[in-house]
Amino acid sequence: MALEDYKADMERCSQCSYCKWIPFDQVKSWRFAKGCPSIAYNNFMSYCARGRYAVALSLINGQSTYTDRVVDIVYKCTTCGSCDVSDKICRYNLEPLEMIRELKFRLVEDGKVLPQFTTVIDHLRKENNMMMKPGTEGGDWAEGLDVKRIPAEKAEVLFHAGCRFSYDEELQEKARTAVTLLKDAGVDIGIMGANESCCGGRVYDMGYKDDFTRLAESTIKAWTAAGVKTVVTSCADCYHAFLRLYPALGAEFEVLHTVQYLDRLIKEGKIKFSKKVPMRVTYHDPCHLGRQGEPYIPWEGKEKKVKNQIVVYEPRRPRYNGAWGVYDPPRDVLKSIPGLELVEMERIREYAWCCGAGGGVREAYPDFSNWTAVERIEEAQSTGAEAIVSACPWCERNFIDAINGTDGKMKVFDVTDLVKQAI
Amino acid sequence: MALSREAYRELEDIVGSQNISDDPAVLDCYRYPLSHTAIHIGPYYRVYTPRGVAVLLPGSAEEVQAIVKLCNKYKVKFKPSSTFWSAWGYPLEDDTIQLDMRRMDRILEIDDKNNYAVVEPHVIGATLQAEAMKVGLNTHIHGPGASCSCLASATALGGLGPDTLYMGHHNENLLGVEWVMPDGELLRVGSAGSGLGWFCCDGPGPSLKGLVRGMVGTNGAMGVFTKCAIKLYPWPGPAPLPVEGKPPAYKAVLPDNLRVYTLGFPSWKAWADSCYLVFDAGIGYVAHRQFNMFGRDLKGAMVKILSDPTKTLGDIEELLRDPEVQKMTEDMKRDYQIVLAGMTPGDIEWQDKALDKILEETGGWKVKGMLEPDLYNWSLLYMIRLGHKNLNLVYGGGYDGCFGLGGTPDFGTSGEPARVEQATAFKEEWEKKGNIVAAGGDGMMGGIGGMGGGGHSLWENFTHFDPADKESTEGTLDFFNAVAKFGMEKGWGPGMEKMNDYARWSNGRTTPKEIRDRILGEAAQPEAFRYQRKFKETFNPNDLGDGYYRTLDDPDE
Repeated sequence: MALEDYKADMERCSQCSYCKWIPFDQVKSWRFAKGCPSIAYNNFMSYCARGRYAVALSLINGQSTYTDRVVDIVYKCTTCGSCDVSDKICRYNLEPLEMIRELKFRLVEDGKVLPQFTTVIDHLRKENNMMMKPGTEGGDWAEGLDVKRIPAEKAEVLFHAGCRFSYDEELQEKARTAVTLLKDAGVDIGIMGANESCCGGRVYDMGYKDDFTRLAESTIKAWTAAGVKTVVTSCADCYHAFLRLYPALGAEFEVLHTVQYLDRLIKEGKIKFSKKVPMRVTYHDPCHLGRQGEPYIPWEGKEKKVKNQIVVYEPRRPRYNGAWGVYDPPRDVLKSIPGLELVEMERIREYAWCCGAGGGVREAYPDFSNWTAVERIEEAQSTGAEAIVSACPWCERNFIDAINGTDGKMKVFDVTDLVKQAI
Repeated sequence: MALSREAYRELEDIVGSQNISDDPAVLDCYRYPLSHTAIHIGPYYRVYTPRGVAVLLPGSAEEVQAIVKLCNKYKVKFKPSSTFWSAWGYPLEDDTIQLDMRRMDRILEIDDKNNYAVVEPHVIGATLQAEAMKVGLNTHIHGPGASCSCLASATALGGLGPDTLYMGHHNENLLGVEWVMPDGELLRVGSAGSGLGWFCCDGPGPSLKGLVRGMVGTNGAMGVFTKCAIKLYPWPGPAPLPVEGKPPAYKAVLPDNLRVYTLGFPSWKAWADSCYLVFDAGIGYVAHRQFNMFGRDLKGAMVKILSDPTKTLGDIEELLRDPEVQKMTEDMKRDYQIVLAGMTPGDIEWQDKALDKILEETGGWKVKGMLEPDLYNWSLLYMIRLGHKNLNLVYGGGYDGCFGLGGTPDFGTSGEPARVEQATAFKEEWEKKGNIVAAGGDGMMGGIGGMGGGGHSLWENFTHFDPADKESTEGTLDFFNAVAKFGMEKGWGPGMEKMNDYARWSNGRTTPKEIRDRILGEAAQPEAFRYQRKFKETFNPNDLGDGYYRTLDDPDE
């Protein structure tokens, strides 16, 4: 699709402003009613899906040109997809998140990129990771871990650590925990270590579609050569890339997030708990595991009209609106842990507030990214929880950094941390 | 003409550099496409409201005052808007400063003893309702739904909606206003102006509420309202609303003292009689002919789609062939929705019995299909929160209301055949041309019992089209022109489709004076507009508002 292909969407956007809020049915308070971090922080109408439709239309109609403000508007979006869920409460024929991604692609194609992105992308092209670390260190997180090394050894399941878990020393232990839990439960699991490459999901959301395609094709090729059938990851961004983006490039792997696998193993009795974890926690749904974690459904078709002017699609087009994301498995895992009390925040599941780390915002706009995370921490605090638990290293890193800037009382855990504590 | 650098710098000093922009792309986000749902003009294909000269995000009444004073100094027009629903909130003229009030979004007070809330401009129906429910209260949510500003509706327009039966119009609920007048001075109207709290908009002292609001509200054309108090009403239900289900088919299983019914009637006379009887019996919390906005023939299929997360618009044709859906659609042909809210167990039982008696007397029924749990719990939530109101745009993205048979319920239902059927037949013929959605002619929706005696249905015949399609948009305009002519010939008066023609014209700018004067001069009460002109000359000497404020020259001057 090209940006121009969304022109009808731009003209059909009804400017209702639903994109700014969580679905209105779900509003429980004034404090936590906002859905889009971008407009909540920046305030001008331009910083929401409604505004970005207008900006895109203005650009393709030649009514405006690339200014610093336009670049800011386009990239200061976490591509969290909150707008997409709320818009689709009333609209069945708009795709705001896809249009926003296309707008980012266009700016990158036209060379209108942020210097912060350039640094990261240059490094990625050389070292295959987003973390500004040498690629040779990619397997260090698993040093000493008794696990098969793919492709030298064969395993039924590949664990993909992802850039953040691989290179963030404070978080590496969580990846080790995930592998150990799965292995101890009898899963024939292996890793690729230093041969693992960035999934490309985050650069896709920054607008670098070609880099994503290069990384994805390379990874698909490596997995196919290694005979991989099932991939497990603890990173929501990687999960989304493998589940939703890779199939369009021909990938046919079974994709699971660690929480899904743990949930299955616990329900099958293959993981048993022996210790209590007396803690009150709240769960943060990562955008790419939750509302964007819906399975890919291939579709090729065209718009048609019925009853004169009702816009539908031939054949029936899949509707991604967050309904079928991964919400229950992490909650079921947490609820199964003895002594653990799970309390919910106001904005959860498909209408969860973003952590602020996505879309290149963490890399380019640290203040905005941090503000978004602090908003979530405050929401977690309002539940009386002593810890915020998630299932994505990018969310967890952003929360840890944000908490370091506040009173520092809220703890941050990965779901796997708490499972480990209970065994 | 761009704003002078000097003026821009002075404005920047007031709001800070992060809260002002004259970037063309930002300004284009504050233009409304008149090829769309412009309420109620056009539609005009690919015509937009004028590009402003700058956008400002004031954060306080003091900042608003300073901005307005500066606008007076430089003789620059300004246009405030809070939630920007439809073309009303956008400039009518080039070189206008757009004030986006979204930074002023606080609920300042909820007084649960005296049943009112004090809010800033960007407080919306959903957030005020959610907070009010925590203390056993509720707020009126006006027709455009939970996404819209409560203050804008209460100060700048009439603010009627589905719960008007119980909670009145927004303008009736206005208990106090803080107003930055067009010259930049600050005025608090009513008891708040005397430092006595926000409980009465009409005193102590002389009431200025009527002057400030004008005939139907200022439409954002007379100064800036920065705060207001709104009356709240009892809410005998839980907080928060216990919402469940997958999007967009959210549902709420509410206690048994909250009930929703879709009522069907054998004739339009029975329909109208029931409206009077509901009003006379004093029952009901929300009453509205709501789902008919999807069209008489399509509403059964649409409620099935909307209450099932696996369905899309692509399912509509199959659903229309389903005998069960066809039966429900037929049962709903002459319908409206009603929510009963019992303040006690005895109250809800009494209300339900009274409703049954009304149905018995009129030959009406509770539509069985809508009592199926999924549809029941979906429609109950829908009617209480009004969080899906923009489903009126679901088909192709554009809609507007036409005809507008407002008045007593039997204004629309009397005649031979009933006026609603005459309108339906007229629209059905136009649906055959293909430019508007073929929905069965009758897209009439509107409130029940919103005025004393049970009147004011304000039936709008919703007409759906595709604003990205030139033929559809222009064909819709042709249809609306024909509706206006038809309505005048029938003596029904001008329809909703031309309601704002007096203000904004086909080029997106102010309506030419001779046309504007003719339209307002032919209105039912032109003297009100002559009076408003005097008010405007006194309070807005530099004419920094716009033509949405209705004024007429005095013929004697």
